[in-house]
Amino acid sequence: MITITINGKKIKLNKPVTILEAARKSGIHIPTLCDHPMLEPFGGCRLCLVEIEKMPKLQASCTQQVTDGMVVWTETEKVVEARRAMLEFLLVNHPLDCPYCDKAGECDLQDNTMKYGPAIGRFKEGKRKHPECYDDPIIVTNMERCILCSRCIRMCSDVQGADAITITNRGNKSYVEPFSGGRFDCEYCGNCITVCPVGSLMSRLHKHTYRPWYIEKEVETICSFCGVGCSFVAQIRGDSIVRVETRPDLGLNKGLLCVKGRFGFDYTVSSARLKSPLIERNGGLKQTTWAEALSHAAGKLKEVKEKYGPAAIGAIASGLCTNEDNYALQRLMRSVIGANNIDSTTGFFYGPAQRFFEDIFGQGATLNPMQGITNSDGVFVIGADPSAVTPVLGLQVRAASRKGIPVVTVGHMSGLKRFATCSLNPDAFSEPALLNMLISGLMKKRPVCGENIFFEDIIKKFMLSTSDNISDACGLGKSDIDKAVDELNLMTNPAILIGRQVVQRSDASVLLLQLSVLIYLLNGRIYLISELPNDQGLVDMGCQPDTLPGGRPVFSDSMRKRYEDSYGAEIPSAQGMRLMEMIQAAHEGKLKALYVMGENLLLNLPDTGYVKEALLKLELLVVQDTLMNETAELAHVVLPACSWPEAEGSYTNFEGRMQHVKKAVHGEAMEGWKIISEIAKIIGVDWDFLTVVDILAELTKVSPVHKGITYSEMDSGNCLWPYNGEPLRDIAKDFVLPDTKLIKREKCSGRSYLSADQQLFHSGTIGRNSSALNLLMPASYARIGSALNEKLSVKTGDTASISSGVKSAELDVIIDPDIKGMMVFVPNTAADKGALSFMKWSMNKDFKNPALDGNEIEISKLRSKAEEVAA
Amino acid sequence: MNILLKHIEYPESTELKGYCESGGYKALSKALDMKPSDIVDEVRRSGLRGRGGAGFPAGMKWTIASMDPKKPKYLICNADEGEPGTFKDKPILEKNPHLLIEGMAISAYAIGAEYGYIYLRGEYPEAKEILEKAIIDSYAAGYLGDNILGKGFKFHLFVYFGAGAYICGEETAMIESLQGKRGQPRIKPPFPVNEGFLAKPTVINNVETFANIPYLVEVGAYAYMKIGTPESPGPKLFSVSGSVNKPGVYELPMGTTLREIIYEHCGGIKDGKKLKAVIPGGVSTPIMTADTLDCPMDFVNLPKYGSMLGSGGLIVFDETADLRKVCLRITEFFEHESCGKCTPCREGVGWLSSILKRMCSGEGKPEDVELLLEISKNILGKCFCALGDGAAIVVQGFVNNFRPEMEGRAGAQA
Amino acid sequence: MIVKQRAYEAKEALLMPALYAAQREHGWMSPEAMKSVARALDLPPATVKGFATFYDMFRKKPVGKHVIQLCTNVTCILSGSEDLLSMLSDKFGIAPNETTTDGRFSLVAMECIGACGTAPAMIVNTDFYENLTKESIFSILENYK
Ligand SMILES: Cc1cc2nc3c(=O)[nH]c(=O)nc-3n(C[C@H](O)[C@H](O)[C@H](O)COP(=O)(O)O)c2cc1C
Ligand code: SF4
Ligand code: FES
Repeated sequence: MITITINGKKIKLNKPVTILEAARKSGIHIPTLCDHPMLEPFGGCRLCLVEIEKMPKLQASCTQQVTDGMVVWTETEKVVEARRAMLEFLLVNHPLDCPYCDKAGECDLQDNTMKYGPAIGRFKEGKRKHPECYDDPIIVTNMERCILCSRCIRMCSDVQGADAITITNRGNKSYVEPFSGGRFDCEYCGNCITVCPVGSLMSRLHKHTYRPWYIEKEVETICSFCGVGCSFVAQIRGDSIVRVETRPDLGLNKGLLCVKGRFGFDYTVSSARLKSPLIERNGGLKQTTWAEALSHAAGKLKEVKEKYGPAAIGAIASGLCTNEDNYALQRLMRSVIGANNIDSTTGFFYGPAQRFFEDIFGQGATLNPMQGITNSDGVFVIGADPSAVTPVLGLQVRAASRKGIPVVTVGHMSGLKRFATCSLNPDAFSEPALLNMLISGLMKKRPVCGENIFFEDIIKKFMLSTSDNISDACGLGKSDIDKAVDELNLMTNPAILIGRQVVQRSDASVLLLQLSVLIYLLNGRIYLISELPNDQGLVDMGCQPDTLPGGRPVFSDSMRKRYEDSYGAEIPSAQGMRLMEMIQAAHEGKLKALYVMGENLLLNLPDTGYVKEALLKLELLVVQDTLMNETAELAHVVLPACSWPEAEGSYTNFEGRMQHVKKAVHGEAMEGWKIISEIAKIIGVDWDFLTVVDILAELTKVSPVHKGITYSEMDSGNCLWPYNGEPLRDIAKDFVLPDTKLIKREKCSGRSYLSADQQLFHSGTIGRNSSALNLLMPASYARIGSALNEKLSVKTGDTASISSGVKSAELDVIIDPDIKGMMVFVPNTAADKGALSFMKWSMNKDFKNPALDGNEIEISKLRSKAEEVAA
Repeated sequence: MNILLKHIEYPESTELKGYCESGGYKALSKALDMKPSDIVDEVRRSGLRGRGGAGFPAGMKWTIASMDPKKPKYLICNADEGEPGTFKDKPILEKNPHLLIEGMAISAYAIGAEYGYIYLRGEYPEAKEILEKAIIDSYAAGYLGDNILGKGFKFHLFVYFGAGAYICGEETAMIESLQGKRGQPRIKPPFPVNEGFLAKPTVINNVETFANIPYLVEVGAYAYMKIGTPESPGPKLFSVSGSVNKPGVYELPMGTTLREIIYEHCGGIKDGKKLKAVIPGGVSTPIMTADTLDCPMDFVNLPKYGSMLGSGGLIVFDETADLRKVCLRITEFFEHESCGKCTPCREGVGWLSSILKRMCSGEGKPEDVELLLEISKNILGKCFCALGDGAAIVVQGFVNNFRPEMEGRAGAQA
Repeated sequence: MIVKQRAYEAKEALLMPALYAAQREHGWMSPEAMKSVARALDLPPATVKGFATFYDMFRKKPVGKHVIQLCTNVTCILSGSEDLLSMLSDKFGIAPNETTTDGRFSLVAMECIGACGTAPAMIVNTDFYENLTKESIFSILENYK
């Protein structure tokens, strides 16, 4: 126990900390500039100097550790004089342009100068000049205001791990800049902007449009971009979000954000926003009234149900919508329509992966708290680059790596390249062979432990059936494999991160079983990389054809009864159609009506040509969405729903944490759940949701895991699965051993395959409507590696033609030396050139999701950039 | 006095053969027969203080580092000699490289270091070639390598060539620089002896400090302490420049007076002029007036005369020197070399130099000198490392000792 | 660009020698030079730039064939190096840190180069010259074509 005295106040501490920390803990304010709670101490600005008895010199409290019996004074005359001196120094080269600077009003330098600073400047010699820089589309730099606290640099290198900016030069000639000097070319997380104490690094997006004191309202809410579920404060003026800000103590992201969360929110005011209902008339969509639109949709649904039966109707839910919206949609399907035909694109990866692991390890096995990653002793990543699709989750992996925790990655992951202790980049689609080698290598060092006989039995069979000689089957050398096995063998409780590519393929069940074996051997914790803000919510709300809210199987009579009683309607016991089955059924004319909520099927489903044909055959296509899109263009009725900041609700993130999404601005549209309620009422059902509180109340009543949840509990940040309820333990169907014979492929090397690019700067559906994000990345391109380019010999910016069995188009090429082999990566943001639109698919027989592997693609050079400019 | 520069007088002093013929590498073989802890004890007992400027007892550093259990340990030689007026390490580096190698090998053995770096300033390209050749020769002769002199002791030595940054002479900045970082000092503690290069225990000593080791080990602490003064034992290299008849590097016992150095060894002031001032230990030590000639040059006595021993680089000014310009030049040096990490040094020193520049170009104002004093006071004691503080005390020294001249009232001509 | 890692034991200690090698090859710290170092050592380019620009001896712009580095610190100016500097400036028609139009010489004013005992002094490329005089300096430079 250490006792120190600060300003006469006795403070007891368990462990040595800095004086600054000790003071903060006991509510004593010491001014700082270079210190920041998210960063390591630096000790550069010297504003935090304090007087310590028995020490002749003032000491920087941010770096000085306390010792027992220390007596500290933080505001003596000597200290105040020193602070005035430091501020005077800082203003020597400062332009004093506060009236023009956006930071005024929330500037640490301004505030401290107000408090301690000299009232007049004695510096008469010329100041350093460094013009404000507008070379970057997002970040403006003003290096005349910079106080060289290096907070941005430390954020960029030590926390974000992007290492995109640096201090150039030395001494009083130094300044902060990206490598190019102008454009940042970074991950655009903007976390440097968060920590800049002055007006040196600012967002260009709202430059000179506001002053901090113009902010009328601040709302703490949850980001709408991915399944991490970061918290931030939306700052509102009038009916729009001016900017979003974070705080180091806020949410599970603890002050960090990614490019999408920080800059992408302007999709909510994009020109594509739907404001009034539309109805199809004479081959075109026309504006109409809510009354007409709703009664048309309801009437048609009723008609189809009566004419073809409930099974001819399907609904598509969405991971972009809240739990409340999704709950309402499944309730409409189950209790009003009377069918289990409800699914979403979450069923392409997240849902089946979770189901598979839960069948083996029990319900909730994939729901683990995020900080477990940095607290683990190893990380294994496969199937997606978390630092691109769920960037703040990616930061956890980087932080783990920085702590010296071994990180093994499988597949092309540029964002983790410098952080992986071992990056395995096997040939296209050879992951099963690779995993087999890892498992057998590991089993030699670490035999099975006998804990789960049932599963170990499977492991043994599995090992027998796949003992082919595959040593050269994945294009990696033996030493790579051995190294990976050694790294894995260091782990006793690692975090296993799994992304979508593992499941969107024909041999998905083999891969998942292999991963289960690995997890079992390593005693790993599973993290599913959730790309949408409410993937888990969809599962939990029963938006799957085989489960009811709370993850209860629909086939179980006893469980179904609970819902039937509550809904006052009978729910069919048979599993409904999955998404691609619905599309096939529509194509075959068996599905007649489709209710699509918050999903753009013509962007996010493969072979869009086929999907379009299917949709055109429907008698009724209702699209409820916030943004106009390709699917809505085909609809018979378009119902404009409130966008993310316009309505109350909740999202459930990949950890199973329910978080409160708050209404921040007023919108012209109608809440999603309310639209559904209105339709239900018109169809003639007693349906009494007046607010989201009513929906949550019903959910907590019917779903055994969601017991007793309230929004205020969500606000406390502790609303974690299984909440106060009971997870499902022993109802699992018999685990069916997938056919583990490795799918023999013809050798893939030498051919080009198409894959959807993992985008940091976009998230298809909503991101492509953000003008900020669109500044950072072209909507479409083909990214290729050097090996393929040896055949093609193009340069970045040249145009190539690509064509698959179902589609051809022209795309600009980006050369990325990190890409191995012949893969072609195309983003899925532009509908007419989205990666998925080129892809053929086959139905995965185990999961009934589209398998997208083996999409061979022809790519050839069309013309060079120079030719284009000339033309 | 001829200990540190002894070998230089022999022909081919840079060659291994020449060095050995004049008695080189005997101490190493003696040391390898001793217990490492005995060597550390001997160095501690000798009272040897670091020759890089701060005068920290070498034995103390070695003791702490040798007791730290972390491995491997590193030994770094500070050969960044960047302090203007200082060129005392140069003769060792260029003419007697094996003395340094031998000193380092013994030190490494004593503290248990397996790897050593010589951080050599980028302005000494000749020394680089000489050192690199000497290292190759030492490997070949078994004075470096995995099994030194067949005694199972492993020590590898590398030359790391700096690139022009005075601050890298500061030991933690030097470690940063070695690790491929901008040379900005680190927060202490942890000190390098516990967490230095790659966070491993690291001892950093000056070239001259290492050069003392072979002799110390050869004769033992008791004999060693007979040289110099009780508080500052041993021989010291003084580099003398400026207005003396015979500038150069002199090896003299610690505590030799200024007068003796200037008038006996350096042949007095050039052209029979009058002595005006002396900077005793490189430009970061305060300037002294001509009436301090009886000051003994050592760690204890110089502070009594308002200055410091520093690196032992004397700069002698005669009556014609324009001290205001000298003060400007020194301040500009510090401005140029400030790493930029802390506010007072980065901004304050630049401010000092811009005022001095104005003063020197005839645009001085009466209040300038007071302002200089106040800015210096505001810098002093508030910097992250000793560089900024050095700039402040130097300006204070000029103003306090030569105020009329600084004010422009009594110029050099007066 | 090849830097012998073994020669420096620790990977971290490779950046400085790698930059020297790149400077020899490219003549100055051009963006390409820094990028090539970044690629070779698997470091972020911005980190390389921050490092390179901290140290004086990595050139921030292209230099001439021969670089005259004249010391202008205390002892050297006491011995007249400022006059030498302005003579060189006049003769070549360039200010310090500039390069002659024919690309033959660049002129750099240096901080102390450790030759105070034999001041004034300069380094031309890597050759050391001491006790310079107005006469000797030009005849020395004659040797650099
Ligand atoms: C700004 C600054 C510059 C320094 N430059 C040198 C130097 O050039 N050479 C040197 O040996 N020590 C220099 N030092 C001192 C070193 O930090 C350190 O004290 C010394 O290397 C320790 O070795 P020693 O104990 O053998 O003297 C410098 C210190 C500071 C603060
Ligand atoms: S005093 Fe401060 S700015 Fe100056 S060199 Fe030391 S740390 Fe850097
Ligand atoms: S906050 Fe302590 S020095 Fe800046």
